[in-house]
Amino acid sequence: MFTDYRPKKGYDEYFSAGEEPRSALKPLLSSLGALGLDQLNRNHAAAGMLLKRLGATFRLNDSGGRVGERILPFDPLPRLISSGEWQELEKGLAQRLEAIDLFLADIYGDQAILRDGVIPREDVESSQGWRPQLQGFRPPLGKWCQISGLDLVRDGLGTWRVLEDNLRCPSGVAYFLENRRVMKRMFPSLFSGRTVQPIDSYPSQLLQTLRDLAPWTESPRVVLLTPGVFNSAYFEHSYLAQQMGIALVEGRDLACEDGRVWMRTTSGLEPVDVIYRRIDDDFLDPAVFRSDSMLGVRGLMDVYAKGRVAIANAPGTGIADDKLIYAYVPEMVRYYLGEEPIIENVPTYLCARPDDQAYVLAHLNELVVKAVSEAGGYGMLIGPHASQAEILEFADKIRANPRNYIAQPTLELSTVPSLSEGELYPCHVDLRPYVLRGKQAWVTPGGLTRVALKRGSLVVNSSQGGGCKDTWIVEEAPC
Amino acid sequence: MLSRVADSLYWINRYVERAENISRFVEVSEAMALDCPPGSAEPWQPLIDASGDRDLFDALYPGGGPEQVVEFLVRAEGNPSSIVNCIALARENARQIRDVITTEMWEQINGLYLTLLENEGFWDQPPQEQLREIRRGCQLFYGITDATLSRDLSWHFGRLGRLIERADKATRILDVKYFLLLPSPEEVGGVLDELQWISLLRSAGAYQMFRQSELGVISPKAVAAFLLLDPVFPRSVRYCLERIHDTLQVVGGRSLPGAPAELECLVGLTLARWSYTKIDALIANGLHEAIDDLQQDLNNLHALIHTRYFVLPGFVNPEDSSPASAAQASVSVTATSHDLACAPA
Repeated sequence: MFTDYRPKKGYDEYFSAGEEPRSALKPLLSSLGALGLDQLNRNHAAAGMLLKRLGATFRLNDSGGRVGERILPFDPLPRLISSGEWQELEKGLAQRLEAIDLFLADIYGDQAILRDGVIPREDVESSQGWRPQLQGFRPPLGKWCQISGLDLVRDGLGTWRVLEDNLRCPSGVAYFLENRRVMKRMFPSLFSGRTVQPIDSYPSQLLQTLRDLAPWTESPRVVLLTPGVFNSAYFEHSYLAQQMGIALVEGRDLACEDGRVWMRTTSGLEPVDVIYRRIDDDFLDPAVFRSDSMLGVRGLMDVYAKGRVAIANAPGTGIADDKLIYAYVPEMVRYYLGEEPIIENVPTYLCARPDDQAYVLAHLNELVVKAVSEAGGYGMLIGPHASQAEILEFADKIRANPRNYIAQPTLELSTVPSLSEGELYPCHVDLRPYVLRGKQAWVTPGGLTRVALKRGSLVVNSSQGGGCKDTWIVEEAPC
Repeated sequence: MLSRVADSLYWINRYVERAENISRFVEVSEAMALDCPPGSAEPWQPLIDASGDRDLFDALYPGGGPEQVVEFLVRAEGNPSSIVNCIALARENARQIRDVITTEMWEQINGLYLTLLENEGFWDQPPQEQLREIRRGCQLFYGITDATLSRDLSWHFGRLGRLIERADKATRILDVKYFLLLPSPEEVGGVLDELQWISLLRSAGAYQMFRQSELGVISPKAVAAFLLLDPVFPRSVRYCLERIHDTLQVVGGRSLPGAPAELECLVGLTLARWSYTKIDALIANGLHEAIDDLQQDLNNLHALIHTRYFVLPGFVNPEDSSPASAAQASVSVTATSHDLACAPA
């Protein structure tokens, strides 16, 4: 099956440089061989139909009409990570989130890290994610990020690195869970002879994390706040609400009165204790943030400040999502925990620094430039794939607003064989594990592997033609 | 239960029930048309009247014939109550409350939607096969609902929608056909006449149960009595009204007697009116008028349920007066389509 498969020059996760299969892969390769490429293609098409029937779709536009719903393309070849390697990554993720949480508590509190000059004050205060309204506030349990979905990549040598932290409303976890269901249903034979770590406990872990935030009651009412059915992640919102058995609400279903948040039900108003919000800070409360927001709840932040409702993630976490602040996370780990980071950042040039800016401008054709507050693959220049005109345009943007840009070397992301035009092709991947932090921290076994299905593309975002794969944490095969 | 969710559950069921009813009477008419001598009073035009959309049809298809009638009722995008639109709206409402309905319910309504919207092969089948599959798709949705959903408020609000729609459709079918068939006394007792009455019963999904009932022999009076007053047939008006009454009591959750609110008055009076009457008296006082009154009562019932449970007028959010929430209301697809689809005939 793999006779025509040629790994690229970087790091292929199925085959080593000598084109030998990696040891953990052997059982899978033999099951794949037994299945055959034709059958794989047939089941692949059936899997697409299944996802559609399940309604695992997202909308690209907000027409609300009969068109525009698409599934996230699903690739059937799983991505394997050995359990030993995964344990290290888990530790690294827990460490990183702990440091980020301490950082958030600090900058909205005493600001020791700014006073000690580890991070320049202006870099924090100039950030779009900075919410001065929250200074002096202490969220429930003293924790800020209950749910995060970091993006990890392996570089050309196979070294794991953190690409982004995604601390606001990371999406994709529903696909992570559904992909496994589809794999088991459509490709049961690939699981034979080995144990893949199960992932089904995510909804219960998430619910526990959210319930932990309301210590004032024995039976907290938890709701998931969605922007509504036109949001591209609506499927995920309804899926998670269903899996947890909690109400899925829109801003118009909630109201603040008498110092509490209420939901409007057929039997009148009922109190709400915890809100898992899937809308950005800006839209949460028109009385405090954007006054034109139609998605939030007027008066919510007032109730929140008085400690009568919990919101996850805490408003204000977006500051640590700023790609300029990202660059300081290794420093945070050293500063707050006195440890070396277990997972390193991707080397990052800060255009706000004159030396870095000069380097970036001179090397635009080899770097990836990103706007600090954008996500989803938008606002980005991939130097090696860009035209001269695009490069000049970005150079102007950087000079005009250096604070707004960072640059990183173009990584040769690791590859995993994937179905492309009916054949196996080495496609670039990243990994988004999800980290929950209530009373205890919990990391999903594996995560959502996103794959750039367009041949040669390095962009894995669904908005840019990316797809996804199931991710297996497996015991190392006995040698 | 969230008011918005109750609203969606109610409408999912109304739309599915509507689609099922339309599919059944188009299916019956397709079969029946084959029995009609060429040029005879064909069964198509009454379908438009039964669906209460005569003006819209004439605007969309001036002078339209049988093919246009079927097109209008089954697939027309311009008809908010066409089967395809009903299923699309039911599915869109279901999509908005997927967390409340069971996965099996969602898969069924979504599967039906995908079949109608994306499976071109579906429309290559003979028409009666298409309609049968749609009807069975709707019935499967009820079956799955009844087999998987807890009997909590979600089930009751869904049932309420289904029953109100069913009572409304049963009376429309009877109203239109009855007066179409009766004015020609010379045909009474003829072969074609009997066929017409059988087709009426079939359109209402009532033929077999009518035959098994004590009324046995097909006569205009017996058919009207069965569809309106039968105590045990699940599609009769009386049966639907009784269940609506029960359901509202559960939903209202009030067991102590007290001064009845408007909704309680209306449902109680309507139920009494259709429970304690005889078919002879109804006919003597004018069947058409009685049916007209009933349809008006059903519309009022809907309006009262809507105000009491779906919009909560007693509570005013400061946001409700802001321009922002007005703009939000305008993007709500379902709100607009509901208004269109439930406009009284």
